[in-house]
Amino acid sequence: MRSHLILPILLTLAVGCNKTEPIDAKNPATPKPALSTKKPRLAYVSNGVADFWTIAKVGAEKAGKDFDVDAQVLMPAGGISDQKRMIEDLLIRGIEGIAVSPIDPANQIDLLNTAAKQTKLITHDSDAPGSTRLCYIGMDNYLAGRLCGDLVKEALPDGGKIMIFVGRLEQDNAKRRRQGVIDAVLGRPVNPDNFDAIGAELKAGKFTILGTLTDQFDRTKGKANAEDTLAKHADISCMVGLFEYNPPLILEALKQAGKLGKIKVVGFDEAESTLLAIKEGHCHGTVVQNPYEYGYQSIKLLLELHKGNNTAIPASKFIDIPARQIRKDNVEAFSKDLKLKTGKGG
Amino acid sequence: MKKILGIFTLLVVVCIATTWLARDKELWEANDYIESIKASSFLKPYNIENLIRRTALFGVISIGVAFVIITGGIDLSIGSLICLVGCGLPWLLTTKGVSLPVAISAMGIVSLAIGLSHGWLITQLRLQPFVVTLCGLLLYRGLARGFTGDQTQGFGTGFQSLRWLATGKLAVPGLGGFGIPVPCIILLVVAVAAAIFLNKTIYGRYLLALGRNEQAARYSGINTNAMIIVAYVICAATAGLGGILFVLDVNSAQPVDFGNFYELYAVAAAVLGGCSLRGGEGSIVGVVIGTALMQVLRNMINLAGLPTHIEFAVIGGVILVGVSADELVKLYAARKRAAAANV
Repeated sequence: MRSHLILPILLTLAVGCNKTEPIDAKNPATPKPALSTKKPRLAYVSNGVADFWTIAKVGAEKAGKDFDVDAQVLMPAGGISDQKRMIEDLLIRGIEGIAVSPIDPANQIDLLNTAAKQTKLITHDSDAPGSTRLCYIGMDNYLAGRLCGDLVKEALPDGGKIMIFVGRLEQDNAKRRRQGVIDAVLGRPVNPDNFDAIGAELKAGKFTILGTLTDQFDRTKGKANAEDTLAKHADISCMVGLFEYNPPLILEALKQAGKLGKIKVVGFDEAESTLLAIKEGHCHGTVVQNPYEYGYQSIKLLLELHKGNNTAIPASKFIDIPARQIRKDNVEAFSKDLKLKTGKGG
Repeated sequence: MKKILGIFTLLVVVCIATTWLARDKELWEANDYIESIKASSFLKPYNIENLIRRTALFGVISIGVAFVIITGGIDLSIGSLICLVGCGLPWLLTTKGVSLPVAISAMGIVSLAIGLSHGWLITQLRLQPFVVTLCGLLLYRGLARGFTGDQTQGFGTGFQSLRWLATGKLAVPGLGGFGIPVPCIILLVVAVAAAIFLNKTIYGRYLLALGRNEQAARYSGINTNAMIIVAYVICAATAGLGGILFVLDVNSAQPVDFGNFYELYAVAAAVLGGCSLRGGEGSIVGVVIGTALMQVLRNMINLAGLPTHIEFAVIGGVILVGVSADELVKLYAARKRAAAANV
């Protein structure tokens, strides 16, 4: 019974393969004639699920509307294997372009190079310099970390003890961000290749960085880290949260300990409670990226590349969307703009 | 009782070790040893309050899973149910504008219905608890991600009086600002009710009996199916309560990771506290002690200044050494008794 079924299936598959193979094999980058009348399909792949990516999604979808393309946004919830599966599925569907934020660039080179052979591939948010991707859209996380470090110095004119909180340090952007903060606070020259041990206490001048605590995205643990720091270091002056959810958890711990406003908080990204705390004076400032522009510019560039306009790529192969510092003086304007674009904002 | 004694001793040892690790190093170097220990950050009222609150939050879900483990079953869906309720409550209140009594009732009904369906599938369709609750693990988180659109849920600055249930504390006069966290009272109520149910009612006896030998229990006239359903309903109800308390505490729940792996903390605490995964054994006091041990170990990592990424290695290592030592002591005592009896 089974063999009767298998033969026709195999034959159908073989015929199907014969139909498409010559076009793809000869010139993989050439769009298929059958698709020329359809909207180009462009994919925007994140490195996880977060509110940050929801803002990027709004940007990508807006670009899809503005330029009349089918912009698909995919957010892998299951880490690196999930991201790999999504990219492979997109390639099988013959997508015209992919913008991806690689989770582990160094070890995803093969996958990225395979994708770059079959479609237009760019990276966003986190780069994969060793791959054959066409361009990187984003910011330099090390420099953004330094901006965050400058905010810490601003918040503590007389110096003090600082603790850093982050989801996990396996990610390249987290490592660079943390190093940027440390180097700026300790007054070191710009060197993105630095790496200080996680548990080590670092001192320079009037500043002491007590260490870095990770929570592996467990928010209860993230809050416990902040609470334990308050218990252990009665003389702590500033708490720095490097992932979007870290500053809100720090603020929550401070509130429960009755120390809101007494210990400085500096953050990253634009969580609603972080922005609100800046307005109320409980958080000194935050460094924001521009996820909306990541999404918008990625789709825009992919469309240009799909049309064959390779001049859209700068010589540096890097389109910089710089990070910004948000303090009490510009938080209102920032929130308003964010709300306008996404319907969110403190 | 002996099992509880072992885990209690381990908890005391870990507390003493943490007190020493978190001692005031400057006073210690100045040879003022007593003051140095007294000033240990582990013993600060603020730290004790935090530990009690965390133990209470995890203790509630651990007590629930203990009932399922006593029947010889397992519930892998606790973390996802925490996610469903933890995201569902703020979603209903802030996004949907539902009134508080309706939102709380809805979450209660959802939890009970999930417990009932687990029990029904296991007893009536004879599906394995592992399979049923594994599907629940996937289903409930997926549902939470679906209706929230993967958006982080929280109460913002509102619902302060509701959040008091998880963040509030009751001041104790004469203890220098130390207060008993409200979740501790909730844990106490849940634990006392659970202990009375398990030890002082006929139904508790039924649960223990069916965990030992379900067939024998059934032949002796116990409605084992009904009792198994009761166990899963209790587990889901406490997980739902835990979900509400967790989100009230941290005020931020991302459906992708909220409550991830909490079922393992709950199962570990229950087993450490004397529940046998083979069923038929368990003690509520032991479960609470097991939960406290896990939380003190996590606290120790931060207070001792150990890198957080080796946390699980430390927890695993200490527990393994602790329970091994406990078994060795018991073995030694048993041999000594046997030798004495022979003489």
